[in-house]
Amino acid sequence: MEAFLCTDDLCRQFGGVTATDCVCIDIEESGLRSIIGPNGAGKTTFINIITGRIPASSGKVFFQGSDITNKPTHELVRMGICRTFQITSIFQNLTVFENVRIARQAHKGGSLKIFSTKRSLKNVSVDTWDILERLGLQDQAHQEAKNLAYGDQRVLEVAIAMAGSPQILFLDEPTAGMSPGETNHISRLIRGLAEEISIVLVEHDMDLVMSISDRITVLHYGSIIAEGLPEEIKTHQMVREAYLGKDA
Amino acid sequence: MMSDITSIPGDRPSAAPIKIFGFAAIFLALAILPFVWDNRFYISLITQIMIYGLLAMSLDVLLGYTGLLSFMHNAYLGIGAYMVGLFLIHVSPTSLWLACLVGVIFTGAVALPVGWVQVRTGGLAFALLTLAFGMMFHTIVWKWYSVTGGDDGLMGVPSPDIQLFRWTVGNTGDPTHIYLLTLVVVAICFVLTRRIIRSPFGAVLEAIRENEERAAFVGINVRRYKLYGWMLACILAGIAGALFILYKGYIGPTTMSAFAGAGVLMMVLLGGMGSLWGPLIGAGIFIYIQDYITTMTEHWEIYLGLVVILLVLFMPTGFVGMGSYLKRMRRN
Ligand SMILES: Nc1ncnc2c1ncn2[C@@H]1O[C@H](COP(=O)(O)OP(=O)(O)OP(=O)(O)O)[C@@H](O)[C@H]1O
Ligand SMILES: [Mg+2]
Repeated sequence: MEAFLCTDDLCRQFGGVTATDCVCIDIEESGLRSIIGPNGAGKTTFINIITGRIPASSGKVFFQGSDITNKPTHELVRMGICRTFQITSIFQNLTVFENVRIARQAHKGGSLKIFSTKRSLKNVSVDTWDILERLGLQDQAHQEAKNLAYGDQRVLEVAIAMAGSPQILFLDEPTAGMSPGETNHISRLIRGLAEEISIVLVEHDMDLVMSISDRITVLHYGSIIAEGLPEEIKTHQMVREAYLGKDA
Repeated sequence: MMSDITSIPGDRPSAAPIKIFGFAAIFLALAILPFVWDNRFYISLITQIMIYGLLAMSLDVLLGYTGLLSFMHNAYLGIGAYMVGLFLIHVSPTSLWLACLVGVIFTGAVALPVGWVQVRTGGLAFALLTLAFGMMFHTIVWKWYSVTGGDDGLMGVPSPDIQLFRWTVGNTGDPTHIYLLTLVVVAICFVLTRRIIRSPFGAVLEAIRENEERAAFVGINVRRYKLYGWMLACILAGIAGALFILYKGYIGPTTMSAFAGAGVLMMVLLGGMGSLWGPLIGAGIFIYIQDYITTMTEHWEIYLGLVVILLVLFMPTGFVGMGSYLKRMRRN
């Protein structure tokens, strides 16, 4: 059977540092895969390579059977590979509504209608409202993104990624900076999404990871040291060592 | 799910009737002006303001909407102007519209490969490239004596009649006629550009301005849309160039110098970027001050520089920002 998304000996060096070290991973077409690991383990770098933010030093990425290694970002997004950023990346001076609408418009098309009004793309606007309501951002729709509370900006980050109707969605520490209420809301939403699409979640909150993941991959110094069900990872000796040091 | 699609909030309001009325009023007032005020000098000065206003507005498409800084946008006014002039001199002295069309298409044809290189960069590198290309163009028109007239500039450009459907409505050599032609063309360009900027396409440019990387990560082909924005800006500059040569009957290489390019940038900043109409006001302020100071001293650059420094210090967001500042003051 052909893998949905997989990598083949994916590597990335920064000078002398090997941030991603011969990673082979297989990701299913639905479900929630968490990637965990200590700070600097190479989680973000791994996502950056797959989503086309930085080129791989060597190795390949395959998506639905085709080689997508080092393809331009916008093409990957069109194929259904979307992401959020660990460091919030939104359109600061646009309203929340405009932030999501541009993402939806880029997905749905109509960007070359140079003489139409923005309102004329009715489906785009309707979808945008759906997404805002789903994420609980509808009351802030008119606000400029830069004026949102930090936690709400994190939610907006997820909203923008969802507007691309992804088939696989990479979430790089989405709940960092969210209030407990928001974290709860977003994690339930992510769990719900994982029934339809593939979610790859990088997260430091272990309780959250253990409770919502279908499978967990553990990175340490750029390579995979363990992979399995949450219960397996919880008791895995190498994982405990990686997190707590050899004495644990 | 929203049932009432027509009242979707979060969208910025489209042109209010009051704005359309205001625009029509200004247009009519300017159209009547030469018939009630026979000071040819000022009519001519306003023509120049409108032409540079169009150029500054086109630069605003790049700077204020796409977030790209061009130091020498005047190069594309110059290219358009030289081409229209050369066509009128060597090919057909009477074909006004054909000359303009050739000039604008030629400007686009030059801007396309340049833009192809330009959009591979952003930020400071983009700005430096505009300087590099601009200086090359400046040197070419300056040194290629046999074609451009070199230092002396392109002289003896004929003044064709303005014809509409075989009906002669005026002559570009007449200050009032070229004033009215400029007014109509600039108004059309303003309305069209405003429409384009507020379209879904304009939203893409704004997204690129706000966050180029995020724009790519929502699926926008950033380079391609930057190139579209660049072409729009250059073609508008080419149209300004066509008006320029018809208005002056002459163009010299200084029009394409880096010094002149900085002037256009100042017009945009003085008026306030990201509004389209701000740069038109900025061009008015700049050219009026320049003209006023020139009557008193030949070292006008020094005094204009001082005025610009003061304006930038005390009106950092330009004339447009001043408007919203006053509005806020009144509300409080
Ligand atoms: N652009 C870069 N240039 C140089 N080194 C980098 C770069 N990006 C990452 N690194 C290095 O690569 C390693 C992995 O970093 P990465 O950000 O992928 O870790 P991470 O697992 O996401 O960590 P965190 O949990 O802190 O987000 C680190 O040692 C980091 O210093
Ligand atoms: Mg990280």
